[in-house]
Amino acid sequence: MGCVGLLNPVALPTIISWLTYSSLLSMMALGVTLLYRTTKVANFAHASLVTSGAYVAYSIVVVLHPNPYLGVPLAFAVVGGLGLLLFYGVLEPMRRRHSPTVMLMVATLAFDIVLFGVLNILADYLASTYFVPSRNILLSSSDFTFMGQPGIFFVAVGVLSLCSVVLYFLLNFTTLGIALRASMENSSLAQAIGVNVTLMLAISWFAAGGLAGVSGALLPMWTLVNPNTGTVLLASMFCASIVGGLDEIYGAVLGGFLLGFVDVVGTSVLASSIGAWIAFYEPAVPLVVLAATLILAPKGLAGFLSRRRK
Amino acid sequence: MTLDQVILFTVDLLALFSVYLIISLGLNLQQGVTGIPNFGLVLAVAGGAYITASLSTRLAIYLLNVHTSLDPIVNNVTVLQLVNPILRSSPWISIGLLILFLIIGGASGALMGLISSAPAIRLREDYLAITLLAFGEILNVVGTGYDPLIGGPAGTSLPDIFGWAGQYRFYWATLIMLLVAVMLFVYIERLVKTPFGRVLKAIRDNENTAMSLGKDITRYRMSSILIGSILCGIAGALWALYSGAVTPSYDRLDYTFLPWLMVLLGGMGSNVGTAVGTLVFVTLDELIDYFKYSFAPFLPFNVVWLNYLLLGLLTIFILIYRPEGIIREKWTSTPAARPQTGEAKPG
Repeated sequence: MGCVGLLNPVALPTIISWLTYSSLLSMMALGVTLLYRTTKVANFAHASLVTSGAYVAYSIVVVLHPNPYLGVPLAFAVVGGLGLLLFYGVLEPMRRRHSPTVMLMVATLAFDIVLFGVLNILADYLASTYFVPSRNILLSSSDFTFMGQPGIFFVAVGVLSLCSVVLYFLLNFTTLGIALRASMENSSLAQAIGVNVTLMLAISWFAAGGLAGVSGALLPMWTLVNPNTGTVLLASMFCASIVGGLDEIYGAVLGGFLLGFVDVVGTSVLASSIGAWIAFYEPAVPLVVLAATLILAPKGLAGFLSRRRK
Repeated sequence: MTLDQVILFTVDLLALFSVYLIISLGLNLQQGVTGIPNFGLVLAVAGGAYITASLSTRLAIYLLNVHTSLDPIVNNVTVLQLVNPILRSSPWISIGLLILFLIIGGASGALMGLISSAPAIRLREDYLAITLLAFGEILNVVGTGYDPLIGGPAGTSLPDIFGWAGQYRFYWATLIMLLVAVMLFVYIERLVKTPFGRVLKAIRDNENTAMSLGKDITRYRMSSILIGSILCGIAGALWALYSGAVTPSYDRLDYTFLPWLMVLLGGMGSNVGTAVGTLVFVTLDELIDYFKYSFAPFLPFNVVWLNYLLLGLLTIFILIYRPEGIIREKWTSTPAARPQTGEAKPG
């Protein structure tokens, strides 16, 4: 009673909204950090990978009318496959020719543009064939409620916890995880002792794609989704990833929750104290946080913590 | 196409070429010459366009002594009806204003470049790249939310400084833009060959070597971003003045991704390559644009999305199969290091 009693009843929806948004953002940022750690590439295609997850799940809902949550596993598989396509189709041929990292980043940007075009074509196709709205998608009306709260809150937090636990056990207690970590720390040394580094990279691209797909598939349960939703969120994903620290995988979760807090709670507090006009500038929040982090702690929160530990 | 259509097509193409050439040169100086991956070009371009648009009408009524109590942004159309006839009757005043607006555009671009690169200029190149990309579209947020800048989502119009050319407005405007682009091309081409330009290349090729020779690499990198952003700002201002209006919709695709594609196509590091790449790309793009609607009826989706597929796939193709582009960067010849007969090659 004590803790809950302190809560302003108006504040509860804000907190639910913070935790939901942060969980989704953390899943996206987890993928960004994972790819950065393994391939040393800032994956700009993460934008459209997330949106692809949303559209894969939505297409299933449109065609087969199941419970919207049933599209989530499919989104995991399909978008994971898109991650593999990007890796084997574009990045691996470039890596074999010793392309510099910046050019790999340009390639992910190009892949993002292609995917953006494909998503828009898919949206047009859904609208003209199934006569359903295919822009500004929102599925929250078919969501369940539990203890008076929207189901997406429990699902988002649950899925994020599940992913983190699975990732933790995978990385720490399996041979695969040790091989993965070895290729992150020093890929040529790992190669020398017989780790198939290319396969390890491919696995991380599938996993990161899958995470992006899941977070994307859950997005329409919580907010409006358009073909450019991922592009709009891209700055936040990178911000969460950098704020958490690119050198530590779990930094992404830390960064996601911090950024989500500043974004959702901070904006709502400012809007009620200064004026509603401040909500217009919400897209600037991650940028301010990003700039502050880079100036004060360029290694991110996780880097800050691990430096203390040593 | 009839002759008139061909002329119109060419003039259109040259206008687009001039603007993109300036942006591509700015990118080539940053990425090709200095090795700064600027994924946020759109910010400097939008800065040049929006801030010039915001100040142009205000400055025009002040400098031309137009007495009005109306707000130059809120009552934009009415105010411009007072300003434009004056500009139409006096080409020299118009040209003077044009030069002033280009200076404002360049300064705004420089400001944007410096602000967005400041947090990460000392960090590794990938941090800088992410930061610049993230900041790229921030001005659209400000432009949409803060009406006094460019009048909110609907945008605002600029004084017609090419109005004196009457029915030949677009021809003259294109000619002037081409002139500006050529002047900037000559400037950048010479700049790259100066000792300053060679330090930039040294930083790109090996930061530590440049540092060991006593070069303050952060200062050189900032100068490179500054000059590149000035170019982008000038291009933004020119495009706004040419098209006569701006809306807060300058996006990453048009003003960051396309210049990258053009420079990659032509050849990173070479200004001639950049110009060739820009010309080839703009011509291809205009041709696709011209013909794509002829097969639009056969497609079950909006034909604009095909552009995205083609552009993205073209970039991926270049990156995998011809990463050096059409024209390779040339070895800069200096009195101290003349390439010997065929032996010395760029490292």
